[in-house]
Order: sequence, then C-alpha cells, then structure tokens
Amino acid sequence: MSLAAIINLNHPASYVHWGFFQMSVSNLVVIGLMIVVFAVAIALPFPGSRRRRSRS
Amino acid sequence: MSASGKPSWTARLREAGVQAMPPERLLPDTQPAYMSSWIYIFGVLTIAALVIIIFSGSVLGLKGPAWWHYTGVGHFFNSIHLWSVELFFFFMVIHLWGKFFMAAWRGGRSRTWMSGAITFLISIAAAFTGYVSQQNFDAQWIATQAKDGLNSTGIGAFFNVLNFGQMYTYHVLLLPVVVVALVSAHILLVRRTGIVPPLPLGELAIPAPAADAPGASATGSAA
Repeated sequence: MSLAAIINLNHPASYVHWGFFQMSVSNLVVIGLMIVVFAVAIALPFPGSRRRRSRS
Repeated sequence: MSASGKPSWTARLREAGVQAMPPERLLPDTQPAYMSSWIYIFGVLTIAALVIIIFSGSVLGLKGPAWWHYTGVGHFFNSIHLWSVELFFFFMVIHLWGKFFMAAWRGGRSRTWMSGAITFLISIAAAFTGYVSQQNFDAQWIATQAKDGLNSTGIGAFFNVLNFGQMYTYHVLLLPVVVVALVSAHILLVRRTGIVPPLPLGELAIPAPAADAPGASATGSAA
C-alpha cells in the first residue's frame, strides 16, 4: 500500500491565512519539522561525547 | 626546475597549493572535541543529499526530459531527484541555523560563511529552474506566474522562464556547476580554517585565531 493511499492527496493544497500571510500546510509542516530536528540535534547527546569529555 | 634555473610554473603552483592547504589540514585525522554534537552533522548530510541529486539528475538528463512521464523507472528516478532536493534544503537550512547561532563567521571564517550563503541562494535558483523544467501543468503554472514577477525586475530580458531550453540548460549545466564549485570551495575553506568552536559561555564572543582551530584539543575522530 502506498502512502498516497493512506493520505488522500487528490485535492488542491490546503492553505492557512493570517492577515497578509499565506502559506500551504505542507510548507508549514516542513518548517515545523526543521525546527523539531534542530532542537533535537542540540538537545540529544552525541554517542561517545561523554566518554571523550571524561577522558580529556 | 626550468632550464633558466627558476622554478617552473607547475612547481610554483604546487608550492602555493601545499602552502595554502597543508595535507594534514586538508585530510585531518582528528577533530576538536566540541565537534561531538549532532548539530555538526548537517553539513555533511547536505553534501550527501547533493550527491544523490547529481546522480539521479544525471540519469534523468541522460534519458531525456520527458522520460519520467511515461515510464515507471523514470518516475522513480524523478521522485528520488525531488526528495533528495527536499532533504538537501531541509539539511542545509538546519546547517544554516546552527552556524548562524554559533556566529560561524568568527575567527577569520567570513569567506566560509559567505560561500555557504551564496550557495544557498544559487541552490534556490537551481531548484526553481528544475520546477519549470518538469514539462507538466505544474511547470507551466509556475513559469507563467514567475514571468510577471521576473519581468518587473528587468531580468526577463535574458532569463526567460517560458523558454524551456534556456531553463533546462540553467538547471542541468550552469547552476549545478556553480553549486558544486561553491560547495567545493566551502569545504576547502572549512578544512583551512577549521570547524568553528562553540560560543564561550557567559561572555561575548571572542574571535578564535584560525590557526588554533583544527585539532587544538583533538580527541574526536575526523568527519
């Protein structure tokens, strides 16, 4: 089963409007994902980094 | 050495190259300990996505611009091309955010920062020329919408988004060459000046001398 069968993509893109601001929901989702990945990349410890710090 | 006793131009070029980029800096075997963070991997992820873009784009280019419309394999390669571009920009934007908040232009790294920023802008143009080269209604819609905006700036006189041949040439040759050249320069500059250290805690940023940057407290492994 393809992903397109799970999520119905057979319609025009959904948009959000805030005054003059307009953006597609898909673009908003991508921006949100980037912010999440950015935060996780900073917060998540890198494998082996604690061991290296304690050795030095 | 030439017959006149002076070093030949190849020898001078080699000496200049080694002086500008010593081998131990070009291919280091250690990296500073502060590189042990996930935020430092987004540059190499961007490059990995670029490699996939170039590979899938080369296949699409060799098979012709209409191939992906009527074959399953062509559609597959087109999807690989599209999604690797999505990941390329995804990783590049996170890389940009990380370097912005680290003030990565410190310590004589302004050229590294600028080459990255220009690569980002040229990549947008490369992606745009790809969208108008799809040869479908989406491409027609984007091109006809874009032409009015571009014509209002005057650039339409030599950058005609309705000219498929011109857009395709920009997309498969001219802009990729510029992106690859800028990315290569960016990597060489990173190797030369070293990876930017984190901002010092509790005080204003003091530019670190570039010469001390790579391997100053080397405990990590090379990227």
